[in-house]
Amino acid sequence: MIEDRELDSWREQWSSVAEPPAEFQRKVQQRIKRQERRFVLGNLLSVIAFLGMLLFAVLLRHQATWMGTGWWSTGVIVLVFVSAAYRIWFSRGTWRPQTQSTRAFVELWHKRVTARIRLLRISIYLSLGWIIFCAVLTAANWATIGQEVKAHPEEWTALLVVCVLMQYPVIWYGVVWLRRRKLAELNEVKKIMDEMDGKSLP
Amino acid sequence: MSEHRHALEKQFDRILGEYGAAISRLAFSYEAVASVREELVQEIALAIWQALAHFRGECSERTFVYRIAHNRGLSHVWRRRPPHQPLEELEESDQPVDPRPHPEEQAARTDQRVRLMSAIQSLPVTHRQMIVLMLEGLSHAEIAEVMGITENNVAVRLTRARKALKDALGVRS
Repeated sequence: MIEDRELDSWREQWSSVAEPPAEFQRKVQQRIKRQERRFVLGNLLSVIAFLGMLLFAVLLRHQATWMGTGWWSTGVIVLVFVSAAYRIWFSRGTWRPQTQSTRAFVELWHKRVTARIRLLRISIYLSLGWIIFCAVLTAANWATIGQEVKAHPEEWTALLVVCVLMQYPVIWYGVVWLRRRKLAELNEVKKIMDEMDGKSLP
Repeated sequence: MSEHRHALEKQFDRILGEYGAAISRLAFSYEAVASVREELVQEIALAIWQALAHFRGECSERTFVYRIAHNRGLSHVWRRRPPHQPLEELEESDQPVDPRPHPEEQAARTDQRVRLMSAIQSLPVTHRQMIVLMLEGLSHAEIAEVMGITENNVAVRLTRARKALKDALGVRS
């Protein structure tokens, strides 16, 4: 009986906690519209970027091959396809939960974070592969590239600096930072799963 | 606008009208700061809208709403760390209007409510979810559906969660 009175008292306090914020429904409707616009725009931009990169690579392939641009553009095409393919491959089974229970949601969350971590690891390997590919291509075409470098040393130095800056601080540290963040998220999800299994609860 | 979309919008408006207060209460258990909580309430509503198109009545509408609200709350806890902020930060506007005329009684009730909310927020996430669902008056079967566990498990966990809440409130069993 004491327990029931206690529960009733809690329920009474709880039920008077809050009312929905003012103009709640109108704000939600606005947000839905914004999100739908963003979704369409995002997908459109992704398709444009994907097609644009392919087009750029194909056009480049038909141009003069003084520094092996044919190989370079083939490399870009392969990179784009490989990136898209492994992204889809690792995202299998992470689109929606089996059921909408909290347990299923946390399991899906775990899958998504794990897939993201794998994707990031492969991105690191891919970027390393890309550097090696570019270095080999440059070495193989050094006869022509070397002449260009000697003719315009400042431009080539600037290009090299931009490439190094893009590759290391931006991409490399960005990926490493993101991976660290995802690992922390994974730990958090595991903790919630343990809580759900009653392993870490008092 | 298609018929289907129109029907969905009507259903969504009805759900918000019916469960808006419950969603707000639930958001209280995940977020103490009023402005962020308002954002969370909107996010929950948005998640309900997105899931509504796939809702085929496999469970009751009430279970459906609580499932989504809790799932959204869980992600919110992760994104917004540190998760527990004392409810002493509650703004004046967060306090519901109490029609009772006695200010002392009103103050005591407010104090109790703040203590209860603060205690709920200090619990581990799964205890918190069990307590909130219990306070919302869901049956064991409904809680089991929301959480994705068995009814027997619900009874065990509710006992534990309730004990944890009492401990947090400083109540002797």
